Amino acid sequence: MSFAATSNQSDQELFAGYDPGSFYDELIAPNGEPRPWAAAMYHQLASMPRDVFEERRQLADLSYLVQGITFTVYSDGRGTERLFPFDLVPRIIPRSEWDTIERGLAQRVMALNLYLQDIYGQQRILKDKIIPRNLVYSCKHFRREMAGLSVPRDIYIHVSGIDLVRDSRTGQYLVLEDNARSPSGISYVLENRLVMRRTFPRAFEVCEVLPVDHYPAELAQILRSLSPRTGERPVIVLLTPGLYNSAYFEHCFLAQEMGIELVEGRDLVVVDDVVYMKTIHGLTRVDVIYRRVDDDFLDPLAFRSDSMVGVAGLMNAYRAGNIALANAIGTGVADDKAIYAYVPAFIKYYLGEDPILHNVDTYLCSNPQHLSYVLDHLGELVVKAVGESGGYGMLMGPSADRKTIEDFRERLKADPRNYIAQPVIPLSRVPSYDPSIGGMSARHVDLRPYCLYDGEKVTIVPGGLTRVALQRGSLVVNSSQGGGSKDTWVLRGDE
Amino acid sequence: MLSRIADSLFWIGRYMERADNTARILDVNYHMLLEQPPDTYKLRWDPLIAVTGERSRFYQTHEEASAQTAFEFLGYAEENPNSIAQCIVQARENARTIRDRISRELWEDINTLYHKILKLREEQQSLSRFCEVIRRGGHRFHGVCDATLARDEGWHFVQAGCVLERAEMTARILDVHYHQLLEGPTILSEARSHLWVAVLKSVAAYEFYRRQYSQIEPSKVAELLLLDSRHPRSVRFNLAALQTSLHAISGSVPGTYSNEAERLNGKLSERLTYSSIDEIFDGGLHNFLTELQEMCRNIGEEVTKSYFHYAVSA
Repeated sequence: MSFAATSNQSDQELFAGYDPGSFYDELIAPNGEPRPWAAAMYHQLASMPRDVFEERRQLADLSYLVQGITFTVYSDGRGTERLFPFDLVPRIIPRSEWDTIERGLAQRVMALNLYLQDIYGQQRILKDKIIPRNLVYSCKHFRREMAGLSVPRDIYIHVSGIDLVRDSRTGQYLVLEDNARSPSGISYVLENRLVMRRTFPRAFEVCEVLPVDHYPAELAQILRSLSPRTGERPVIVLLTPGLYNSAYFEHCFLAQEMGIELVEGRDLVVVDDVVYMKTIHGLTRVDVIYRRVDDDFLDPLAFRSDSMVGVAGLMNAYRAGNIALANAIGTGVADDKAIYAYVPAFIKYYLGEDPILHNVDTYLCSNPQHLSYVLDHLGELVVKAVGESGGYGMLMGPSADRKTIEDFRERLKADPRNYIAQPVIPLSRVPSYDPSIGGMSARHVDLRPYCLYDGEKVTIVPGGLTRVALQRGSLVVNSSQGGGSKDTWVLRGDE
Repeated sequence: MLSRIADSLFWIGRYMERADNTARILDVNYHMLLEQPPDTYKLRWDPLIAVTGERSRFYQTHEEASAQTAFEFLGYAEENPNSIAQCIVQARENARTIRDRISRELWEDINTLYHKILKLREEQQSLSRFCEVIRRGGHRFHGVCDATLARDEGWHFVQAGCVLERAEMTARILDVHYHQLLEGPTILSEARSHLWVAVLKSVAAYEFYRRQYSQIEPSKVAELLLLDSRHPRSVRFNLAALQTSLHAISGSVPGTYSNEAERLNGKLSERLTYSSIDEIFDGGLHNFLTELQEMCRNIGEEVTKSYFHYAVSA
């Protein structure tokens, strides 16, 4: 009798047969026991019958569908709305580990901001030959128009998302990418937390998880401080490319949370170098724009003239100091994937400090020696186009077929400046629910914390977006490439 | 409030109301048909297509107006911008665009209705089931608006969209059946009153009618739907509500106007207040209904010119 009951029990267990494998597992130690900081949550999940878990999972999915939390993919040519898959097992980070990450990110953001101020100002770093002049000038996102222009409170990167990965071989966090233009995903961080609190209320009673909900208020405070008009209550807007942008949900979400107006280019008009929005009772002056439109499309008079989502004359208003923009124009010269290789040098140069978080080894194809190495090892490397984001324009050597590799070989030879290559990092993993086996299976993850810079200090809401490659064995976590997300818990302590 | 947002709010109101009323028109016809011999199909469904203003579009792709083709065309057809499903798609697109400006409840409600319609179509549910879902959806929409939206300008734009659309659609519902009004006897035996009972039920005015008038008289039905000051689906009631919302937006005091939309609407309202149903019949009901629909369109255009698309002098 008792034997039958036990075997039935283990059949139900979500972690039955779970194998952390040879990769670093964020929640489970190699001996199969939970890591100390993950123990409380692990025991809750492990004792949960599968059908209860399934039911909660379906409720969570339904809540995303009802709320319309979707993103748009363009691969099929017409833009289809999809749910961003959400996995209910959180990634859990102990406090001491987070403190190091936080210091490392703050250091990096400060250095990137100083670099931008320098590049568009005195260019000391070029004169001191820390970074080749032509590498900076040939960057697709370098904006000549910004040279010599001072920006409010010397802040260029108000918001950034720095992608981190943990290398399974060393257990170290590494910086994979900087996103200094308009990184998206923060709305998922906040919504995931909301759904998790509803789905596992008891877990939050046991685990002391640091809150993330204050992000919009922190951002709003920075935006308010940028207003060129003193004494008046500043009018702040969020500029979106519109409904068909893949991050439109996030734009709405942030505007609503901050209590600011969500505008499209056609809502704004520039008269005598002052920006106004068109309201039902006439024009209202705008002071600060949190823009989620790329530089190229911001002002058809200054940049791409075919832009339908920009505001004609905005650059002139910016130059005249009548409007503040966050992020500043031209920050793409900081997150170019070739420039990335020099960020540790920036930290040393501007701050006189050693980098706390290290880079992934990077081959710059613009360097002939690097290029020849890369061409000889295409099957082992990850190749990325320097100005792209979202997992587009990327080659995963080990899993690519012959034809794709040869195709990239030609592209690299034709335009070496446009590519970098990196070794494949064995990313750490987190248990994730696999409906096909009705239990947990290890999946690779990365981490994107969101950093806010107010001109003096960097504020980071604890955690960030954990993206997970839901396909077995896959290392690609981008939502546009079939990835999902998880809630990220930073604990008040180490256990 | 941004002009674009006001524009979207206005159209959310209009599209939701249009979907609701189209479902009511479809449903009343369908129920009539269940008790009719099949050879009257063409006679019955054709005016219904005509009244939605999409007659030529319909005959481009369909040979004959039947219960099946009319349901397909008015219910789901993607090529018909005024089909019920397309109205819901449009309302949802507008709501999605401005979801930061409406309550979470309202957005979720419209979004849920959208997903429900996709499912109904997939399951090939019957016309009456479909219409039932839309009607309930319409009621819930008003309830959620009422219970969750702040009474600011945005609210008045939603209201303005709803009541303007409803006034126009009520005129259309009558217009589908106007020939019956003119040709039939003035007082109907209960056995012959099915059409009018169905019309009254479709606009939730049946019980109200029975309390006011004992027998079914087509002219009284028209009187109620056009001139009644208390029933929320009568044209007069809705135009009065429209004036209230337009005044709340502009700040005009009652009895005055500050733009062309208010002037036209005020003039039309007055006419309905002081006309008798006999006068309207004498002047030709169809002509009157046609003119009414045209006036509603003009008022809509003037609202657009005043608030959504005005010229900016740079």
